[in-house]
Amino acid sequence: MSEALIAQLLQLGGSIMAILALWLLAIKLGLGGDVRIRDDDHARQLAEDALHGFTAEELVIDRAGMGALLRDAAGRVMLVRRHGGQFAARLLDSHSFARLDRNFLTIANGEKHFGAFTLDLGDNAQVWASSLRRLGG
Amino acid sequence: MPEFIPPNFNPVDYAVPGFILLIIIEMLWARRRAPEKYEPRDTLTSLALGTGSTIAGALTGGFIFALLIWAHQHRLFDIGWSWWAWTLCFMLDDLAYYWFHRMAHRVRWFWASHVNHHSSQHYNLSTALRQTWTGFIAASFIFRLPLALIGFPTAMILICGAFNLIYQFWFHTEAIDRMPRWFEAVMNTPSHHRVHHATNPVYLDRNYAGVFIIWDKIFGTFQPELGNERIRYGIVKQIGSFNLLWSVFHEWIGIAQDVRAAPWRHKFAYMWREPGWSHDGSRDTSDTIRARWAERQSVSSPD
Repeated sequence: MSEALIAQLLQLGGSIMAILALWLLAIKLGLGGDVRIRDDDHARQLAEDALHGFTAEELVIDRAGMGALLRDAAGRVMLVRRHGGQFAARLLDSHSFARLDRNFLTIANGEKHFGAFTLDLGDNAQVWASSLRRLGG
Repeated sequence: MPEFIPPNFNPVDYAVPGFILLIIIEMLWARRRAPEKYEPRDTLTSLALGTGSTIAGALTGGFIFALLIWAHQHRLFDIGWSWWAWTLCFMLDDLAYYWFHRMAHRVRWFWASHVNHHSSQHYNLSTALRQTWTGFIAASFIFRLPLALIGFPTAMILICGAFNLIYQFWFHTEAIDRMPRWFEAVMNTPSHHRVHHATNPVYLDRNYAGVFIIWDKIFGTFQPELGNERIRYGIVKQIGSFNLLWSVFHEWIGIAQDVRAAPWRHKFAYMWREPGWSHDGSRDTSDTIRARWAERQSVSSPD
């Protein structure tokens, strides 16, 4: 093995060690916070941030503030969910999947990497589950 | 090559310890001031993208070096190693970077390679290291070929490019508000580059500069940071995943799916048109988002 290759492999090993050290430091320092959806206005703001012009007429927030479902005047439904220290959102469509289990509504939008997300919606779960079924046309 | 440049000299190698130190300092700042500015999994993804990018660079660097050498053999002028050549090369390399970067946002083929630099919803020094693995596939090296054809020595071009990259590290931060006015007027700064990473409609596709913000002012893409606009970072459709490989390849996969599904006469357009373009107009581009925003602004404040 040439010296240049050994040097490059050592450099790569050092980089990987440094990455893991920084990751562990970020955890140790408690970075990332614990973001939650605070209230209706916050949920509306997140939806507007995700899709400019999306104005929610109806919404329901997960009881722990981890996500929300919002519907606009055109009947479009948006799922907002926590993603690390931020939120990510998707409009739901006919490819979306919803499963109701008492107060818990699990939603997947068909994107494997966006993943399924379970909201604790309390008494609202059934109402929203019914309305989501209509998205399937 | 002059003797003062060691063989295989890459300034980035010497800068990496400084990058790590500054990230640690920024993390300590974040702990005191705003813990949400960092997210451990996001940081891990960003740093892994940076390391993968150096591996990709090592694998493809030889070809790019050879291509620049070839172009230099067909040069227009014999430019030596004088001080003014370094200065001119650095300026022109930054101009080439501006156009590369603008195309990286306006042509989906280039965007597919560049998007992972923007897919974090955070903006901190680790975001700066979120570099591409697929720049070679996107052929982004073509933007440096004119420098070699003009006659700048290959090593000079690559060293100037490396210093350009090093300069771009420090301004990926929210820890610095504004620099002195004279500096903000000429140089790229944290404030200018926050605008570039924002998804707010008013900020979309603005401030492409690398080192000198003057290019954006000259070519009409400059947007100052507004005091009353809360910045949202990331991409228009947030990726919503920390999966490393998905971060690298998701837009390439998107192109492949769109090209496969599109009618024949539109297939090529899914590669060269702007991100978000669709043949049936069913998706948003930065232009349509900006237009919708501007329309709403004019309705809410007709004066």
